[in-house]
Amino acid sequence: MTALLTPASYTVDPWDPSYGIAVGDDLDGRESSARLDLDVELPAARWRPVTPERSAALPSAVLFLDGVRRIDARVWVHGESAQPVPGIVASLAAGLVCCDGAASVVGMQLDRSLYTAAPNATDLKTRHATYRFRPTRAGLDELTLGVQRRLSEVEVELAGAWRRQSSALDDLLVCDGPLRGRTNLARTVGYVKTHQTSYLPEAQMRVVGALGSGERSPVFTMGTSWQRRSWYLRLPGASRSPWSAIVRLECSADLPAAEAVALADLTARVLPPLSSLAHKDPRAPQNLVPIGGLERQLRHRLGDVNVLYRSLRSALRD
Amino acid sequence: MTQADQARADIAAGRAPVGLVAGTVAASPLEFSVGVAPDQFLQLDDVVVTKRPLPDGTEVAIAGVVTNVEAAHEGARFASDVFLIADGALPADVAEVAEVTVTRVEPEVYVPPRPGAVVHRAAGEERDSALYFDTMADAKLPIGLGRDGNPVFLNFEFVDGTRGGHVSISGVSGIATKTSFATFMLHSIFTSGVLHGEAANTKALIFSVKGEDLLFLDYANSRLTEEQRAKYAQLGLPPQAFGNVQVFAPPRPGDPSGTPDVRARDKAVSPFYWTLAEFCAQELMPFVFADGEDERSQYTMLIGQVAARLKRDAEPVGKDGAIQVRGVEAGRGGPLRSFEQLVGLIEDELGDEDTRRDWVAGSTSTGSVNAFLRRLRSAVRPLERLVRGDLGHRGDRSLTTSKAQVTVVDLHNLPDRAQRFVVGVTLRQEFQRKEQQGSARPLMFVVLDELNKYAPRDGDSPIKQILLDVAERGRSLGVILIGAQQTASEVERRIVANCSIRVAGRLDSAEASRPEYGYLPPAQRQRATLAKPGTMFVAQPDIPVPLAVEFPFPAWATRPQEKGSWQGVDTGPAAPKDPFAGMPSALDDDDDPPPF
Repeated sequence: MTALLTPASYTVDPWDPSYGIAVGDDLDGRESSARLDLDVELPAARWRPVTPERSAALPSAVLFLDGVRRIDARVWVHGESAQPVPGIVASLAAGLVCCDGAASVVGMQLDRSLYTAAPNATDLKTRHATYRFRPTRAGLDELTLGVQRRLSEVEVELAGAWRRQSSALDDLLVCDGPLRGRTNLARTVGYVKTHQTSYLPEAQMRVVGALGSGERSPVFTMGTSWQRRSWYLRLPGASRSPWSAIVRLECSADLPAAEAVALADLTARVLPPLSSLAHKDPRAPQNLVPIGGLERQLRHRLGDVNVLYRSLRSALRD
Repeated sequence: MTQADQARADIAAGRAPVGLVAGTVAASPLEFSVGVAPDQFLQLDDVVVTKRPLPDGTEVAIAGVVTNVEAAHEGARFASDVFLIADGALPADVAEVAEVTVTRVEPEVYVPPRPGAVVHRAAGEERDSALYFDTMADAKLPIGLGRDGNPVFLNFEFVDGTRGGHVSISGVSGIATKTSFATFMLHSIFTSGVLHGEAANTKALIFSVKGEDLLFLDYANSRLTEEQRAKYAQLGLPPQAFGNVQVFAPPRPGDPSGTPDVRARDKAVSPFYWTLAEFCAQELMPFVFADGEDERSQYTMLIGQVAARLKRDAEPVGKDGAIQVRGVEAGRGGPLRSFEQLVGLIEDELGDEDTRRDWVAGSTSTGSVNAFLRRLRSAVRPLERLVRGDLGHRGDRSLTTSKAQVTVVDLHNLPDRAQRFVVGVTLRQEFQRKEQQGSARPLMFVVLDELNKYAPRDGDSPIKQILLDVAERGRSLGVILIGAQQTASEVERRIVANCSIRVAGRLDSAEASRPEYGYLPPAQRQRATLAKPGTMFVAQPDIPVPLAVEFPFPAWATRPQEKGSWQGVDTGPAAPKDPFAGMPSALDDDDDPPPF
């Protein structure tokens, strides 16, 4: 059979392969179980790309909150039971960048902890660092979750501390990642770079795919394990790969619709200029420039992994 | 006490640390880097000090001079990141790192400073110690102000011959201010007190080869501002001109009374020339052939033979220096009154087959004789002003340093060949005088510009021989050479090697890369190519790093427009009351009066 096949053409995904891809493969077709309310800003049937309203004042400062984590070592805790209990020794750092004309790191917090379910574990003192013992539930996945939870805690502490001492009333805080657990922070949005699940029905999905650079989708409300308002935004620098340069933002579901829309407009004006370039960031354009810079500094502040590893080994020598 | 406590204590004591020893660049006992604190700065030539405690409780003070400073964005990976940082998108810090070359380790335990150690600016005693000023005792010669505004000293023991001698000053003409620095050094030597009781008897002989700028050393500089006076005060020097200067200048061409050929000054000026009698008696003939071109030729032996014959057979006629020569063909022997006549006699005698063997060895080839005569003839025009027997004896025409503290020999009106003759003859005469004197003290300073002309790297000449003699033996005889040149690379290596003090002003970038400037670290070499007038890099054996100094604006006039009050003394003959006495007077003749 000589069916006329379209000749194959290819697009290289813009992200560095070690970071995976920004779009999950179950995005197409299947719908998630999330409870949706699509009519928050526009009725679902009239969804279209939204160009942000430009009349509102821009925030005096945009803050970016992010954290990095690194597993310094995996340990076995010996105790009563015949089988030693696994544990993770991890360093994590959270930081806050304030962009108000000049980007500066205004807050940084470092945490080194031992995560294990072993009841008899203690703090680990090494020559170069002390790892606090933080009990977790049993199971290898729980250890990793414990690290992630601790990072969220540190991030929230940092953002809270900044908000307490800052007198600004019109700043905008952008948290890297979902807003889970941080919805009580005012003027705060979560910034999600990857899309593992398609939350929207087919028709609305098409609207997101049709977004132009700097345009956003209408605001909608979604509820999975928790409720939040959300919208999609397309950054400059899109390629032919699916949903390229698209990020999802979310804010507290407690926010009235009008305020959420205003916040969405604000992000659509503030964030696109900060998108990164492919030759400078492996996750361009979604990894914003301040966040990329902050992550580099945070990773530096985690310290030299070899030094920490050696001192841990010499401290735990039996 | 932790480092943070130490830092706080330093701030409280008014000694804020300027930074910490950086750990990203390995520190060595001879070189380390300083991370400059955000609210501080370090510039090139700043003097800093840090401490290193040893296990036995002693503390090693490591002091050095900043030889490079680099600033960079930390957190930026691409050159274009600077725009993101400037736009406020990318967080980054500016980090400044200063490279310090260690000058002194006290006590001498050569350990590196430890990264993180507090570094502060050295001031007062610490600065003196870092730059070895504390070891100079009473031999501290102020030579200018450092970048930090404090005086910089030279160890005079390396100038006066005690431990070393001679100064070599290099730099581009016009911008490097070589002669100004040389005269400032002389001023400092005479007035700072390093000479103690000998200040009055110490002499300086300056050859002025380029212009009239050295003829006003005893005139106050009318453009000296209060600010510049304050700099002199800071150096402990009086802001005044030289007090005792005698200028020698060649006689004006065609002037029968032999008045000196100087337009810009009228006080303490003497003419100088050599009489034919002196020319013969002192065997000055070799200095006529002082070009680089000459010594390669075959006739050098002839010069000595002819000079010896003239010494033997020339005898003075009258008081004016004319001679007649014995044993020559009748009618040729004189009296001779001009250099041209002397040359004419030699030409006649050597050109004559019969008389030639009375002057030179019989085996001499005609070619050599002709070459000799050709060179001799070409010297007539440049030298006839300086070697003569036709001027009335006035008693004050010989060039001597005995009249004044500073003797300036003005050569700028003379052609190159005559300049060489004067420099050669004068240097020999003064060197011989010091040799006969037998003691090094009081010292005699010789300032000679264009050393590359008189003592070139290649070739040989009588002047070069004398300069080599000065460089190698002068130290013990008390003759100190202050030589200046545009290019040290073109000066005889043994002369430069014998200079204990090396000074560089603005250098040409090609010149700066030559090995003669190896004493300048790379950063200073680069800097020397953009040094401003008045900035010099001074290397002395005591201090491992050359110091950048700014010497103050001269307190003496360097050009006619700056001439202020005259501060010198004039022991020479008084100027004639009526300077027009010898001119024809309008009243005396019967011509029509001039139409005005």
